[in-house]
Amino acid sequence: MSNNPPKSQLASAASSEVMIAIKQMNKWYGQFHVLKDINLTVHKGERIVICGPSGSGKSTMIRCINALEEHQEGEIIVDGILLGKNLKNLDHIRTEVGMVFQNFNLFPHMTILENLTLGPIWVRKMNRVDAIDTAMTYLERVKIPEQAKKYPGQLSGGEQQRVAIARSLCMNPKIMLFDEPTSALDPEMIKEVLDVMVELANTGMTMVVVTHEMGFAKTVADQVIFMDEGDIVEQNEPTVFFDNPQHERTKLFLSQIL
Amino acid sequence: MAMIKAEKTPERSAPISESSVIGWLHKHLFSSAFNTLLTFVMLYIIYLTVSGVFSWGVLDATFVADNRRECYDNSLTGACWAGVIHWTNNIFYGRYPREEIWRINFGGLLLVLWMAPLWMSRVKGKVLVATTTVVFYPFLASYLFSGGDKGFFMQIMVAGAMTAFALNMANLLAGLFRSQGLNSFLIKALGQENASDKTQRNILLLLAGIVFGVAFFWQMGQTLQPIVWTKWGGLFLTLVISGVGIASALPGGIILALGRRSKLVIVRVLSIGFIEVFRSVPLITVLFMATTMFPLFMPEGFVLNKLVQVIIAVVLFNACYMAETVRAGLQAIPKGQYEGAHTIGLGYWRTMRLVIMPQALKYMIPNIVGSFIGLLKDTTLVSIIGLFDILGMLRSISKDTPWLGLHKEPLIFGAILFFIMCASMSKYSRHLEVKLSAGRTH
Ligand SMILES: Nc1ncnc2c1ncn2[C@@H]1O[C@H](COP(=O)(O)OP(=O)(O)OP(=O)(O)O)[C@@H](O)[C@H]1O
Ligand SMILES: [Mg+2]
Repeated sequence: MSNNPPKSQLASAASSEVMIAIKQMNKWYGQFHVLKDINLTVHKGERIVICGPSGSGKSTMIRCINALEEHQEGEIIVDGILLGKNLKNLDHIRTEVGMVFQNFNLFPHMTILENLTLGPIWVRKMNRVDAIDTAMTYLERVKIPEQAKKYPGQLSGGEQQRVAIARSLCMNPKIMLFDEPTSALDPEMIKEVLDVMVELANTGMTMVVVTHEMGFAKTVADQVIFMDEGDIVEQNEPTVFFDNPQHERTKLFLSQIL
Repeated sequence: MAMIKAEKTPERSAPISESSVIGWLHKHLFSSAFNTLLTFVMLYIIYLTVSGVFSWGVLDATFVADNRRECYDNSLTGACWAGVIHWTNNIFYGRYPREEIWRINFGGLLLVLWMAPLWMSRVKGKVLVATTTVVFYPFLASYLFSGGDKGFFMQIMVAGAMTAFALNMANLLAGLFRSQGLNSFLIKALGQENASDKTQRNILLLLAGIVFGVAFFWQMGQTLQPIVWTKWGGLFLTLVISGVGIASALPGGIILALGRRSKLVIVRVLSIGFIEVFRSVPLITVLFMATTMFPLFMPEGFVLNKLVQVIIAVVLFNACYMAETVRAGLQAIPKGQYEGAHTIGLGYWRTMRLVIMPQALKYMIPNIVGSFIGLLKDTTLVSIIGLFDILGMLRSISKDTPWLGLHKEPLIFGAILFFIMCASMSKYSRHLEVKLSAGRTH
């Protein structure tokens, strides 16, 4: 974070082009109403941070955005494409939206380099040499090019998570989703992952991040969203959100985690 | 209470009980009066068994004789191996014409050579080798074994097999002596390193085409004497049935297991029904059904020989067992792996092939090999429906006039053979497990 002063707001890269539009979206697990009347618009280059208590539906919501979960009502439009039963659309969305998980989900039977080149070679049909080139570029960006030949099991949690980020970036996605990327990490590794994410934000990537790292939210986010029991309870700019929360539930939540 | 240790504690050697032979003996065999007693009783029992078996099977045994009478004349208390030795060819090859036995041996040798690269780390292109084995070898082998006139399709496949084998061996040599794949070796030898990918591929295809052409014209002039399947028998027949079973049970099992986990209801229900029906019926029933009922379902005038029916039954039966093994392996893979694959845009089949199966197979290996061993042993059931596999052959020794009533020795010989085959399979599976899990901690 050397090139940007701590705690100061990153310049927003948001444009007026809409990347994600969620309209009146509802989702149930069986009889359980997980997401209720969700409305959300994310512009190109915008960085959204989502927080909220456990079980409030944060993961479910961002998993709906890349069709890992089906929604039952309402619309989700990603990069101009309506998510629905159309499998061709789904395949397209999956290559446009990268996702990083709490527990990395790297492929343990492949080396780091194989993990990174798998998508480009099989989905993007890149030839092997170019794919390796791209992979090495991104490994350098996440600062672990020397680990390319190792297996995921031989890396620390922080390194694995950075590999996972690089793996998504190799597909050259338009949107990156993060689901609590630092929650499974020891404190000393959290910073190295957040640094990579801040740098990514600097490049103007559209990002939706579920996290409880409020420092990150303050530096990077254009908008902070608070969810509770399947509702988006409050959405605001970070300065207002943290200094002057409007809703009782937000106040309560912030008092618990800050 | 505070304390500081000023010096490092020097290392000492382990107590005697950990290092010396006497220590080991004491710990494992004579640790208490009762254990000592047990040790001696067991040693005595082992001594009785081993010495009894040894004097019956080796010291008092007869190895050369023309009939059972002579065995008895020689020794009353020893084994009569002469009968087994007389029947060796029958036990291994059944009633296959003696002057054509080279075809079976040659077929076996081809298979060994063909698969050899799979065990050599320096040889490249293992997937291709394995695929060509499954695609081409069966045709070449079945022609070698049964002979006769080749149809056009058979000619293509035989020539294809010869091409594949030749390229495979060339690749093996390139791998052993140059540590590179045949393709890169050839390209370099022809000085085409700098040509575009497409030209390089065309050159290689052209070379393969030439080899194929030569093979095709050569095989047109060659015809092997036909041998009907009823003459097949012995260990050869056992290996043919179980070999086909082993080679197709795994692919079949994977397909059935995926079907069972499918989201499509019809596919799922059909797979479950199929698997459960076959799993709840004994193999011998399936064999009887295959030979008596299968022809009823076939169109009029369509006659399959009994061997093919038996093989189909064995394959289906084992695919169903394999399906459950595969399913168990698939369940060991966490959901996150599917989601990881999903986020880089891999579709269902690629996710399965590149991400899920390679990991699941590792968990499955012990069970898969277990099934293979079961399969090898179970094929002896075909002797009940009248095929003269190895068990059938061993048992007919006792009906041969000179060896009338000779039961024990052939069966013991069979048991030893099966023990060697099954034990080496399970040894190999343990080796595979260790090799696959090396360096890959989760
Ligand atoms: N597959 C599922 N089937 C049924 N219920 C589910 C399923 N997945 C999640 N839920 C329920 O949906 C609710 C929202 O889950 P979700 O994982 O989105 O919460 P979250 O906000 O991400 O919580 P956390 O901070 O613990 O990750 C929870 O009550 C959870 O129990
Ligand atoms: Mg969650």
